[in-house]
Parts: sequence; C-alpha cells; structure tokens
Amino acid sequence: MSRVIRQIAILTLKDLRIEARGRQTLGLVAVLGVLIIAVLGLGLNRQVGGVDATAILWVAYLFAGVLSFEKTMAVEREDAALAGLLMAPVDRGVLYVAKLLSNLALMAALAAVITPVAILFFGFDLSAAPLGFAAVMAISMVGFAAVGTLFAAATASTRLQGGLLAMLVFPISLPLVIASTQLLVSMFRDGEPLGGLALGVLVAFDAVFLVVSWLVFECVLEP
Amino acid sequence: MPPATHPEIVVQALDLSKQIDGRAVLQEVSLEVLAGRFVVVIGANGAGKSTLLKILATLMRPNSGELRLFGRPVRGDGSPLRARIGLISHQSMLYRELSACENLVFFGRLYGVRNPRERALELLEMVGLADRADDAVKTFSRGMTQRAAIARALVHEPDLLLADEPFAGLDVPSVDRLQVILARLQASGKTIILSHHDVDQSLRMGQQAIVLRQGRVVVDRCTRKLDSATVLREMVTA
Repeated sequence: MSRVIRQIAILTLKDLRIEARGRQTLGLVAVLGVLIIAVLGLGLNRQVGGVDATAILWVAYLFAGVLSFEKTMAVEREDAALAGLLMAPVDRGVLYVAKLLSNLALMAALAAVITPVAILFFGFDLSAAPLGFAAVMAISMVGFAAVGTLFAAATASTRLQGGLLAMLVFPISLPLVIASTQLLVSMFRDGEPLGGLALGVLVAFDAVFLVVSWLVFECVLEP
Repeated sequence: MPPATHPEIVVQALDLSKQIDGRAVLQEVSLEVLAGRFVVVIGANGAGKSTLLKILATLMRPNSGELRLFGRPVRGDGSPLRARIGLISHQSMLYRELSACENLVFFGRLYGVRNPRERALELLEMVGLADRADDAVKTFSRGMTQRAAIARALVHEPDLLLADEPFAGLDVPSVDRLQVILARLQASGKTIILSHHDVDQSLRMGQQAIVLRQGRVVVDRCTRKLDSATVLREMVTA
C-alpha cells in the first residue's frame, strides 16, 4: 500500500512540477474561464444574478476543465513520455489516480481564480453558506475530473482530441451540473441545509466514475 | 568436469500475429534470443519492426501466439517482467520541461531504484551529458536527447534493452557515439534487440539478424553468415 501511495505522490508531483515550470495549462484555462464569464455576463446584460449565476460558473468550469484535462494528458503524449511510464512497473490504476489528483489540483487553482470573478460579476452572495458552496463544488469537481481524466486519456491518441473530449465529457457530466446547481439553489435561495437527493446524486456519480475509471483506465491507454 | 551451462533464453516468441485496423502487421513470427546477444531486426518501413518491439516490450498484446520473456509467459499486464526491460525508440519518452537529471530521478523512483540521483548522475556521465544534467531536455539537440533517452532506459539496470530505430534523425557523430554506447552495453552482458532499416550498419553491430518482410520473419541467422545483398534481397522480394 505504501508503495502505491509513494508512486502516486511521485507521479502527481511530476505533473505539478511540469506545470509550475511551464505554467501553460493554468494560465490558459484561467484566461478562458474568465473570458467565458465576462462574455456571458455582458451578453446576458446582468439579467442573471445571484445563485442562478452558478450555472454560468459551471459553463466556465466545463470548458476550462476540458481544456485543462486535454493539456495535462498532452504532456504524456509529447515525445511518447507515456510509453516510458507504461514501461515502468506501475499499476495503470495508479497512473489514473495520479493524473486525477493533478487535474483536481489544477481545477482547484482554476476555481480559485474564476469563482471570485463570477461572484463579483453576478453579485452572488456566498456569506449564507460559504463552506456549503465549497463542499458542493469540491464534490462536483471530483466527479467532473474523474470523467475528464478517463476520457482525456481515451481521446489523446485520436485526431479529434479536444472536440471529441468535449462531446464525451459534457453530456456525461450533465447529471453532475444539474445536481450541483439544484443543491446550491436549495442552500442559498431556500435556506435548506446541505443534503437530500441532489447530494446523493453527486456522491453516487463520484463513486461510480472513480471505480469504473480505475478499472478501465488500462484499456484506454495506448503508448 | 563442471556441468555445461546453457545461456538463458531471454526472448522466446512462438507464432506471434498482430492485426492493426484489419491489416496483418505481424504474421506468425517466431524467434529466440539468448542472453547477452545483440540482435538486429531489419526490415523496410512497415515491415512490422516497431510492432514487434512493442509486443516484446509488453506494451502491445499480440492477437495470437505466445511470448515468453526470461522463461516466463507474458500474461496480465506483464508488470514484473517490464521491470527487467529497457526501451529506447526514436522518441525520447522524456518530459521536455524537466531536466535530464530530474527525468532520470523521476523514472528511477518509479522503478524503486536506490539512490536515484546518484544513479542518474552516473548514467549521465556514461552518456556524456554530465555537464548538462540540470538543463531542460527541451534545450537539447536531437543527439543529446537520444543519449538522455538511453540513460532513461538504463536507469533500472534492465537485463534486456529494446531499441526501436534509435538512430533515426541523428547526425554522424551522434550515430558513432550511440554505437559506442551500445557496444559498451553489449560488452557488459546486456541483451540488446535493435530495429533498424540500415542493412550495412545493422550487420556490423549485431550478432544475430532477423529480417522482417510484410510482417513475416524471412531470415533469422548469425550476421557473420549474411551479407548486405542477401538481406536486401530478402527484404524486398515478395
């Protein structure tokens, strides 16, 4: 077990070190996220506000997230580094978890940049349940990154890449977006505590995709 | 009189076949490689050399046939066997943003190498990159990148080294340098299987030549018993 944890740490730190060196992914996806919020905000002429704006926030997360997943997997494709990884005596599930953690770290950094922008832009008052908001977003991000990491690996060797990845990840993530938005509306508009069916959907989504992705990751990896 | 010792059979392939997108890339390939041998796999473009090496590296599974490495059948993900194999290809399999040393330390840690930094520096010294150890791989020339790739493939001291077209895109001094490194590795007892399309160079370097034509083994012989004309004829004759 300690060997597995050590390998996950080695792989995740490698990804974060590469990102820190190049700062290519985070810089790009953060700008994209902010632009999406600004364009939608200006386009809707601030007719959407308050908790309804979380749907717009999700649009930014989805597009920027997909780009982020694609970029982190592209690092492995460049100069066939993935083949080097696959030659190492490392379980494929370990590779998945490490890439998932790297993607989650990037998504957290992305959220830290674009969420305040959305809050300011749409006047979304978080003070009623800041921890509840953070919890819902964290649970949602795990599921989104679980799906994104799996399909980014599956589509990395295809010519369509980004387009195909978005076409696969967006519809699959729909239950996540709906449940997450419903939870936020019930918490912030109706003043209900965190819980209920929507939370169950989020947790079940995370559990199903984490387990399935761990199991099938080997099949989607091609050197 | 001491009992006769037989050299270990490192690679034993029996009737390996592989289809990719409906095309038969390998057809009933059988071969045997003894420990310490330098084997060259020769063939024209599309003859199946890279596919064969990927299968031997356990990165790809054949559609049919049996592969045994170090006397053990390759089943499942082949992870324990892969720990004894090093792979070099025309692509470096290195992370361009990281330095040569960071790359080697990273792979060394994954393989569970003791003192990975010490091992990395030792290998970079061997391939003549000690003075560029801390430079990012993206700043290297093609020849330097390939030497760093060799160091990466050797970081865990593999018994079997697979090299898929390692000379591709190298200039003459880099080719010479790489040949010296490979000769040194062979002298140290490593088993080497190298795919190449240059017949003369292959016959000079290797001890055993396997010629592939349209996915089939058409020659499997000691290089001393072969000449370039014969190999070229076998490579192209349908």
